[in-house]
Amino acid sequence: MTDAIVLATVLDMNAAEPLKAELLARRGQPVTVDASNVERLGGLCLQVLLSARKTWAADGVDLTITPQSQGFSEQWTTFGASETNVPDPLAQDPLEGALA
Amino acid sequence: MDAFEAIKATFFQECDELLAELESKLMLLEQGQTDLETINAVFRAVHSVKGGAGAFGLEALVRFAHVFETLMDELRAGRKPCDTVTIKTLLRASDVLADHIQAAQGLAPPVDEERSAGLVHELELLTHGGEAPPVVEEDEDDFGFVPMAFDVPLDEPLPSLGEPEAVAPEAQTGWRILFKPHGRMYGSANEAGLLLRELGRLGPITVSVDDSALPTLDVLVAEDGYLTWTIDLTAAIEEKVVREVFDFVEADCDLTISPLGGGAEPVLAFEDEPPAVLPASDELDIAALLAKAAGGAPAAEPAPVAVAPAPAPEPEPEPAPAAPAPAPAPAPVAAAPAPVAPIPPAQVAAPVAPAPVTIRVDLDRVDRLINVVGELVIQQAMLSQRVLESGLARSSGIALGLEDLELLTREIQDSVMAIRAQPVKSVFQRMPRLVREVADMVSKQVRLVTAGEDTEVDKTVVERLAEPITHMLRNAIDHGLETPDERVAAGKTAEGTVRLAALHRSGRIVIEISDDGRGINRERVKKIAIDKGLVAPDAALTDEQIDNLIFLPGFSTAAVVSDISGRGVGMDVVKRSIQALGGRISISSVPGKGSTFTLSLPLTLAVLDGMVVSAADQILIAPLPAIVESLTPQEGDLHYVGGVDPVIRFRDRFLPLIDVAMTMGFRDTPVVPSEGVAVVVETEGGQQAALLFDAIQGQRQVVIKSLETNYQQVEGIAAATILGDGRVALILDVDVLVTDMRRRSSRPDFKLAS
Repeated sequence: MTDAIVLATVLDMNAAEPLKAELLARRGQPVTVDASNVERLGGLCLQVLLSARKTWAADGVDLTITPQSQGFSEQWTTFGASETNVPDPLAQDPLEGALA
Repeated sequence: MDAFEAIKATFFQECDELLAELESKLMLLEQGQTDLETINAVFRAVHSVKGGAGAFGLEALVRFAHVFETLMDELRAGRKPCDTVTIKTLLRASDVLADHIQAAQGLAPPVDEERSAGLVHELELLTHGGEAPPVVEEDEDDFGFVPMAFDVPLDEPLPSLGEPEAVAPEAQTGWRILFKPHGRMYGSANEAGLLLRELGRLGPITVSVDDSALPTLDVLVAEDGYLTWTIDLTAAIEEKVVREVFDFVEADCDLTISPLGGGAEPVLAFEDEPPAVLPASDELDIAALLAKAAGGAPAAEPAPVAVAPAPAPEPEPEPAPAAPAPAPAPAPVAAAPAPVAPIPPAQVAAPVAPAPVTIRVDLDRVDRLINVVGELVIQQAMLSQRVLESGLARSSGIALGLEDLELLTREIQDSVMAIRAQPVKSVFQRMPRLVREVADMVSKQVRLVTAGEDTEVDKTVVERLAEPITHMLRNAIDHGLETPDERVAAGKTAEGTVRLAALHRSGRIVIEISDDGRGINRERVKKIAIDKGLVAPDAALTDEQIDNLIFLPGFSTAAVVSDISGRGVGMDVVKRSIQALGGRISISSVPGKGSTFTLSLPLTLAVLDGMVVSAADQILIAPLPAIVESLTPQEGDLHYVGGVDPVIRFRDRFLPLIDVAMTMGFRDTPVVPSEGVAVVVETEGGQQAALLFDAIQGQRQVVIKSLETNYQQVEGIAAATILGDGRVALILDVDVLVTDMRRRSSRPDFKLAS
């Protein structure tokens, strides 16, 4: 079954490590990340999420970020991360293809 | 202490440092230095406090810090002007923040809810209230002038870029910024997102992120930076303006700024590339570009605009694949191989400037080390003495080896002392708050000016400076400065100035506290002293002597005993605590112009360079810094004032000649001056005098052993030391000797506290 993770309101530097641990604990299973509470998304947490996306894609498992708060998707876009991602399952990332 | 408590203790230590930083930056702001870097520093300090507090669940602290931080965020984004009202509020907020931290530590009762809430309200008003005028102030940062949302359509023309730079010939139609933050950047509470947002303020931007260097989650280090952003900024602005956005993170990221679409692309030397905005989706172009650079193409080497200010070496999780090395000639992008590499090697190879590494050490350990080194110095001196006594030739191997040992010992000693040396900043930084509070309480306007905060002095001295300085500042504000009305009436500015300065002078640290107030009212001081029976009514006192009366125990001039000073603890306490440190205090005052208190303290309480002299079979140490010159008195240079007090001619001046053995009571008959040695010394106040000894024995570094601790204070003696042969030698207090001697002839009826 699909496991769910609810993201904290503020995803700053201090949230990166716990988030990574939380995600890692669910490696290998499909995960839905709930970003509906997110107000602030920092660069380090972005990294964790992008890395998770990569990892899950490599494992061939689904990882979805939904639902998303407006703040989250805006900042996600600000970071230039939107091209390859939102809101679809991330396995079909074109960049991933280039990397493979 | 369990691990958690230990971490918490570290957090509070860091809080102290952060608060100090906060305070000093706020002072800079107050002085009008409202540049982005300063505002950011304030933000970072508050943010770090908040972050740590959050981790420990210190709710009250987090809540307050959050409001504070929010306002700082507005300021640094340029949405709110950094005006005087704001800064005053920030200063008070920093005080409350400090109180919250104290309370969280359990060192103080919880912060008065009303006071905290009041400030929270003020801060929020400043953040959201729109009270601050929307007018762009002259000192506002550069970004305020483009009130533009981040995600404007790319094709929208830039409105109102009326800046002169916009038409400068070197202005470009845009910039491509390659930005790779290091973990360190996040560590100092900077956020890539905010930088992007700031760029967005400059003009329309297209952001794409390169996550090719990003490892899978299991090997990801959460605090490290892996992502590289490519930002195309379409705005005809100067590179300088773009660079300013990254100003204070520059050392913590790889940054390359190149003109967009111009001929200066680092690798793609396309002469005819249209200066169009590159769509964000051509990530692969950049990836390819990077790959090409990483692939070892020589063309990447002389990249003309690559700027990577001191990036730290980055671990490269994905080594650049051996891409088919393209020829030096520019190759079309599309033909570049697909594999991507994170960073061009040209940047990685840039010089490394790591942040200074520090460790926290228990003070006890340092003290133990210092003690042992002190013993080592003594032991080394003893060994030299033994060798000398054994009659070995000066050129013998042992003697030479000993000399080397002496140099080494000296170096160890200096290094150990340097460990303890601390700038007086830590004390000075507590003072602005004190001044604000005291000024509020007595309704005076005070500006505190500090200088020489970086002056270093031994930690023990620094710690014990706080109290006397606090006391004297209170005095300066409460007694020294007039009320604003009085000041205006006297033709001065309503705001009084108190100056706190530290400097090194002849091997001692000098702290000056001066005010531009009314000066010492000598009439009143004398009257009070007479009323209190401290001096005889008919005593004839010089101005200096009257000034010094305020150091007498039980003296207080405040007509009304205020909350601030005059709590029965007077200047005598200050004087005593300074003396306990081996220091002196002096005062100079000009009526109507203000007073200056000068504290002079030894740099360290541990070692001293001294001249070893003998007087009546006693070995004494004269502190080297005080010595000007030594000479053999000639009969012709000696004169006797009034037939008794000897003076000596020294460079066409007459200096009092003090027979130290007599003054100290070692013998009753004066030595014949021409048979002794005169050492010319200079006191803290610049007075010169000649001290007469029997002979000079040498010069050496001695370890100071306190007399007060082990015996009691002796007038004229600063401390004692142990010589190489195990004998105890007394270290002279030159100032007391000289001034005491001076006073002998005209000793007033009261005993000057000395």
